[in-house]
Amino acid sequence: MSEQLRRILCVDDDADIRLLLDYSLTQIGGYEVRCCADGPSALALAPQFHPDLVLLDVMMPGMSGPETLVALRALPEMQGVPVIFVTAKALPSDLEPLLQLGATGVIVKPFNPMTLPDDIRPFWEYGRGQRNA
Amino acid sequence: MQLQILVVDDIAESRDALCAAVTALGHLARGADSGAGALALFRQQLPDLVLLDLLMPGMDGFEVTRRLRELSPTRWLPVIVTSSLSGEQHFIEALGSGADDYLTRPVSTALLDAKLRHYGGVLALQQRLSSLAQRQSDILDNILDPVLTLDETGRISELNRSAHELADLGGQALVRGQPARAVFGVDLAQLLELREVQVQRVGGGSFVAEIGASQWREMNRQHYTLVLHDLTRRRQLEQMKDDFLATVSHELRTPLTSVIGAVGLLAGGAAGALPASATPLVDMAQRNAERLNRLVDDILDLTKLEGDRLPLQLREQPLAPLLREALQAAETQAQRQQVSLLAEGLDTPGLPDLNIDGHRILQVLGNLLNNAIKHSPPGQSVRLTLSGKPSGVTVTIRDRGPGIAPALRGRLFQKFVQGDSGDRRTSEGTGLGLYIAQTLAGRMGGHITVDEPGDGAAFSLHLPAAGSVGELAPVLIHVDRDLQSRQRVAQWLSPHYTVRSAGSLEQARALEATEAIAGFIANPQDQGAADTFCAELRRLAAGRPMLLLGDSIDQDFCERVDLPWLAAAEAQAENLQQVLHLLLTLPSSEPTP
Repeated sequence: MSEQLRRILCVDDDADIRLLLDYSLTQIGGYEVRCCADGPSALALAPQFHPDLVLLDVMMPGMSGPETLVALRALPEMQGVPVIFVTAKALPSDLEPLLQLGATGVIVKPFNPMTLPDDIRPFWEYGRGQRNA
Repeated sequence: MQLQILVVDDIAESRDALCAAVTALGHLARGADSGAGALALFRQQLPDLVLLDLLMPGMDGFEVTRRLRELSPTRWLPVIVTSSLSGEQHFIEALGSGADDYLTRPVSTALLDAKLRHYGGVLALQQRLSSLAQRQSDILDNILDPVLTLDETGRISELNRSAHELADLGGQALVRGQPARAVFGVDLAQLLELREVQVQRVGGGSFVAEIGASQWREMNRQHYTLVLHDLTRRRQLEQMKDDFLATVSHELRTPLTSVIGAVGLLAGGAAGALPASATPLVDMAQRNAERLNRLVDDILDLTKLEGDRLPLQLREQPLAPLLREALQAAETQAQRQQVSLLAEGLDTPGLPDLNIDGHRILQVLGNLLNNAIKHSPPGQSVRLTLSGKPSGVTVTIRDRGPGIAPALRGRLFQKFVQGDSGDRRTSEGTGLGLYIAQTLAGRMGGHITVDEPGDGAAFSLHLPAAGSVGELAPVLIHVDRDLQSRQRVAQWLSPHYTVRSAGSLEQARALEATEAIAGFIANPQDQGAADTFCAELRRLAAGRPMLLLGDSIDQDFCERVDLPWLAAAEAQAENLQQVLHLLLTLPSSEPTP
């Protein structure tokens, strides 16, 4: 975890979405990006990769997004790391429960890969502010 | 028809003669020599008809007739009395005691034949009626849904077999004569206006039933038949549909996200500069991917709206900030089409807060603004105006495009109707926008109207102030004898108008006394003399708008009584709403046809 937003961990079961996220955040955002296809691999990678931010898909087979969030938060290395949910659902009623789980924010699909690198910054800054509080 | 006839006469000779005459006419005869004997035979086997001598020792004919009637209370048994006495007094007394006819002795064979034929015919009719009733009862018993028939006072008069499994509020099986209130907790009048009701079962348990009510008349009495359809299964199916939709939504959106994302990156130059020939193709892919996305959203919204399963997050808030947000969101499209967006009245003080779902209002505004921009020629402007009163606000979005084609005028708010002039290519719209917008507005107590100000079109979104939903929905009284008409009209007009239904002017008067009524719709059919009815309606309306709705009157009549009229045949939800909107917004109180 660094004072700058450098490393981003993406978790999504769809290969194309992972490619989009990688492309967008690496080529356009200039971040260092790792992508995982499911919760368990994310949990294995996180302690070594030390991400500054996590982008987490909600609907995944096996370990769901919310379940992965809870497990990530339990890891000591992940304390205070902001997690942003990425989901197709957009109604406030759908977003509320996700925020209650401890996510820092929610990004709705389809996201704009051109602007995603900038869109995630406010969430990181907000999460960072919380960490230092 | 061959009849089984019982001949009762104490004198053997005349008895045998009559039996012979009856047999000769083709019927079957049995004889009894006394009243007691007759009753004994009667108990063994019911005859079709009785020929009874009046003067007998022991029990006389009058007594026998009375006893016979007691033994056959449900089935009609013709009794013909015979007597050789002169004068009519004894026949009059016999008819008073329950006899159906008489023959003087000696009995004329021809007359006997004629009477037996006559009564044979009536008995055949009775048999047909009886088998029809049995058939109806069998059909009703074969219906799986409970079917109840109630009389005018709201008491149960008939139950089919399934209805016997229902219980009243005390858990007891239903019985004839029980009032509706004891079973459903509400009176007949309220029950007829409900669409669903909670119903108990014998042995415990209950379910929500959909009520199908119909009204019919028999011998000047009203009857009401209710079919109670268990909604449990339907609710389960709806839940399955919801779950399915959520899955479909995800399955459709994921690949769409990839397409939109990838094409967005291409278009944005993230993969390097595109050759000029590639740009229009990439643009096309992007536009259509976004259109598909909107269509998926619309279809999902639509399915939920129609199933009444779209949850709204209502919050009291002012409308102006949402208008600003909507205008900002529409800026990109406006710039692309070289249309300027103008706003008026956003800073008007004193406008009430509304109880609305901000997200959905943005959806409605987005739809109206995008339509306006789409139809505006380049260089023109789209103007959004906010105005209001303490009771509610109105947002009008006006464009200076070609206006609305007359053919589309009445169908604008229907599904999959798109307004395009001939030479324009098919729009990027989904055809569902206005329909969804109108439905959403309705769910929040408002509605959308459309006007043609000469050049272009103007759509107005009307929303009631928070805490007053229903105030902006005017309350109307609808008078109609027919239950189904009342239900239909109330359904057509909701939620833009609140309808209080009445079967007669008398009931309407009672309703009018209890709340503020904005207007009256009335059907003169079966309400006595139409002229008198209209005069009394006018008196009740006292200057408020009136509309005649029905088919028992015509244009001449309506001109004569000077009242506007909509034929039931022409009336559909939209026509009725448009006519009412016109009537209710007229400044003067005298309606014009």
